[in-house]
Amino acid sequence: MSVAQLEAAEVTLEASQGGLWSEAWHRLRRNPSAIIGFVLVAVFILVAIFAPLLAPDDPRAQDLQAIFNGCCPGPSSHHLLGVDDLGRDELSRILYGARLSLLIGIVAVSVGLSIGIVLGSIAGFFGGWVDTILMRFVDIMLAIPGFLMAIGIVALLGPGLFQVMIAIGVVNIPIFTRLLRGSVLAQRENDFVLAARAVGVPRRKILVSHVLPNSISVVIVAGTLALATAIIDAAGLGFLGLGPQDPATPEWGNMLTSTVRYLQTAPFLAIFPGVAIVISVLGFNLIGDGLREALDPKLRGRA
Amino acid sequence: MLRFVVRRLLLLIPILLGLSILVFVWIRALPGSPAQALLGERATPETIKQINHQYGLDQPVYQQYWKYLAQTAQLKLGTSITTQQTVLTEIRQRFPATAELAVAAALFSVSIGIPLGFFAAKRHMRAFDQISLAISLFGISIPIFFLALILKYIFAVRLGWLPTVGQISVLINIPHPTNFYLLDALLAGNLGAFWDVIKHLILPAVALGSIPLAIITRITRAAVLDVQNEDYVRTARAKGLPPHTVDARHVMRNALLPVSTIVGLQVGLLLSGAILTETVFSYPGIGSWLQQAIQDRNYPVIQGGILFIAIIVVFVNLLVDISYALINPRIRLGSK
Repeated sequence: MSVAQLEAAEVTLEASQGGLWSEAWHRLRRNPSAIIGFVLVAVFILVAIFAPLLAPDDPRAQDLQAIFNGCCPGPSSHHLLGVDDLGRDELSRILYGARLSLLIGIVAVSVGLSIGIVLGSIAGFFGGWVDTILMRFVDIMLAIPGFLMAIGIVALLGPGLFQVMIAIGVVNIPIFTRLLRGSVLAQRENDFVLAARAVGVPRRKILVSHVLPNSISVVIVAGTLALATAIIDAAGLGFLGLGPQDPATPEWGNMLTSTVRYLQTAPFLAIFPGVAIVISVLGFNLIGDGLREALDPKLRGRA
Repeated sequence: MLRFVVRRLLLLIPILLGLSILVFVWIRALPGSPAQALLGERATPETIKQINHQYGLDQPVYQQYWKYLAQTAQLKLGTSITTQQTVLTEIRQRFPATAELAVAAALFSVSIGIPLGFFAAKRHMRAFDQISLAISLFGISIPIFFLALILKYIFAVRLGWLPTVGQISVLINIPHPTNFYLLDALLAGNLGAFWDVIKHLILPAVALGSIPLAIITRITRAAVLDVQNEDYVRTARAKGLPPHTVDARHVMRNALLPVSTIVGLQVGLLLSGAILTETVFSYPGIGSWLQQAIQDRNYPVIQGGILFIAIIVVFVNLLVDISYALINPRIRLGSK
């Protein structure tokens, strides 16, 4: 081995012992299930973005000839995944459905995350009665099962896409609040916080530029897993008829509702959107698990 | 121990009060007035006024809340708009079915999840472990209602082994003194009916138990892996105890501590998941009851149903905490 090669090898070794993130990235890259997760999610996001280009048909267009002989002809060269009970191209609807699921997931998690970060850091950083009141409130919210609370909120606001996002977002608030509080509490007593305080950095600035950045890894892991749950819950609400009210909207949960009646004759109508849900959720779960392992401080330096 | 229980019971008070406030605010935050929501299309100025008076909605808010609290404490949860029965009566009729379903799902997930997690940890990093991890990952990634649909298609529609819908065959007629159909069938001494109810339970219970199964497998595996490397396990092995004695007396006994908490925490998941499962199988429990109420905008039922489930979850969590303290001396003694 030449000197240059040796040096190159050393450089890569050193790089792997760099910061938390580069090290985590290294471990993530060697985790096959995380890679699969990234691929699944990448496909999901690309499909969501390029749905109009990929879809062979308008997801709302009805091919009445296709259902001339009743519901529902299965996959054919005209319609790769068959048509639904109204003669709409199943593949196009699934591709467009990715948009809605991704949108619901991102908006819902952002709502829960942003409010949860604010409440959690307030509770953790200021402590005292603020903390007590906030955390008791979080306890109460956590006493109601998440999906049930989402149903209650949608029942209150009325069914619809926007309402589903809000409902799932609200369900996520107590989860992120508790998480952030724990993380902030753990860091409040750290030396770097003490040092910042000693040189007279204002409390708000300590929180924003010293404490919160160190909580990011926890938030990313929880956020990825929350995305998975959000997609499942949104589909569940859609299945119960609480999702987008326009029946033409290609939402995966909605699509499954109407198929219950055709389970005997056209099971593929239930299977395709269901598989789409499983694939996207699986992707986020795989990434979340991989990230958790990669960012776990207990495992640091072992990779 | 007594102090721990008392403290834990006292903590219930703010949680239950908070819950009641949340549900109280919920019905008042309905779009339009509650009277309008209750009356729907039948709303006229006179009927609205009448309803407002009947429900005390013309009184100040704190008095309304006080009244609501007093009524709820007496289990007066209101009247269903569609059936005109009290919500409590309907819960009494419906809850036993869901309780049977939830218990069946819990049994399914515990009896499979714990052994699966245990053997996965025993064969750490080998094929069995990887497969069990994959199964449990799949279990948390598949929507309950989709799994329910698939099971229904395969085992009920295609193979015809199990019934597609309901809780008991229409042709079987047994008295229902308890509304727990399994118990009723046994009380009637009708084993055919008992078996019929079981057959109706299998698919919904498997679908509903899938997520808890995945979670319990994961936690058991992690717990066994943790405990296996403890000094006391090494000592037990070193003094020559047979492997299965070490596993049973030292590994499992300690690994089951975290698992027991997790099992208790699945109750909320089981009860909210029941809404989807019961909808797919037209199973007559509180899940499908709530789902129907949502379709009908039957607000008293939604309100009462959600409060009821939340209270059950709170109490089960309390029992879990107390039993956890009973089996784990570290908690019991630490609370002094």
